[in-house]
Amino acid sequence: MSLHFSGNRALILGGTCELALALAQSMIESDLFPILTYRDDKGLNAVGESLQSFHGKYDTCYLNFGDRDSLESIFSQIGDDLNFLVDFAQGNYESFIAGADEDSVYSYFMENISFRAEILKRVGRVMLKKRKGRLIFISSAAAAKPNPGQGFYTAAKLASEALYRNMGLELGERGVTSVILRPGYIDAGRGKIYLQKQDQKILEMVPIKRAITGGEIAQTILFLLSDSAAGINATEISMDGGLTSGK
Amino acid sequence: MDIFAELKKIVEELLDLEDREITPETLLVQDLGAESIDLLELAVTVNSRFKIAVKDDEIFLTRFRLYSAEAKQRGQDTVHYIAVRYPFLGEERIEDIMAHIKEGPQLKIRDLISYVTYRLQEV
Repeated sequence: MSLHFSGNRALILGGTCELALALAQSMIESDLFPILTYRDDKGLNAVGESLQSFHGKYDTCYLNFGDRDSLESIFSQIGDDLNFLVDFAQGNYESFIAGADEDSVYSYFMENISFRAEILKRVGRVMLKKRKGRLIFISSAAAAKPNPGQGFYTAAKLASEALYRNMGLELGERGVTSVILRPGYIDAGRGKIYLQKQDQKILEMVPIKRAITGGEIAQTILFLLSDSAAGINATEISMDGGLTSGK
Repeated sequence: MDIFAELKKIVEELLDLEDREITPETLLVQDLGAESIDLLELAVTVNSRFKIAVKDDEIFLTRFRLYSAEAKQRGQDTVHYIAVRYPFLGEERIEDIMAHIKEGPQLKIRDLISYVTYRLQEV
């Protein structure tokens, strides 16, 4: 199936994670132009290494969640030319709620929810001018089925999902739509480390008995960005091999 | 720059109005049927065309009723209280809005002109 896209410039938040880099490569191969955000030199180098054979076919920009100046500079760089947003960005704060550090909780929610709302406001206004745009938030199966210690992570994911869902509700009639993808256990990035720690036993709980690959996630996101998926709006899709459907 | 002519053009485009008389006294919501999403798009377009920072709460007088209630609650002069928060309106216009506010949203094209003019002076 060949995919057609309305526009080609895509801002990828959290652009240095393994999934984002896999997506960027798939995007470039589909003639899209990814703009990947990074927050330190290590991330910038990771992008350079991963996409070294695609010089001139992507861009990078600095964005540190919670740093409003960095947000301002991104929009100076991008201007009004943006068609897609794919959001992988997510800080992690693992703690029992009854044992959490209050300051960490406040800053975690500010960075992962309030700051994201500001990004969505800015991106939404850029897309509104074009009356076209697609927003994809990469959530997590933890939004439906958290483990102990994941309360803050899950709360931030669910709140962010709500922001994305409402963007699609509010701006859908003006051509700006959204979709949320909830991957389950992934054989890439943080997921890979977690699976290694669990000695893969946890995959026995997944009906398909395996992790989702980074390539599968990238191809699914590409489909969700395409015109073929335009009818999927303001909703979430689970991609967890059936993990959250059963007991 | 003829701010009124430019705003008229923007409103006609966004609300898909043809052969409709628009004057500075035209009410956006009551006369033209503008909805929330139209106002949001209007703010974005005004920002883009005039190259000015637009605060939706200000340009659309969103907090007018709230400020009015706050002033009464604090025992302060309502017109002055609102004028400080919406300096582009002028006291006469504030009094005019207060006199008609029970009839529905009072946002007029002239208020947009005042806001854009005020913001352009700041640039």
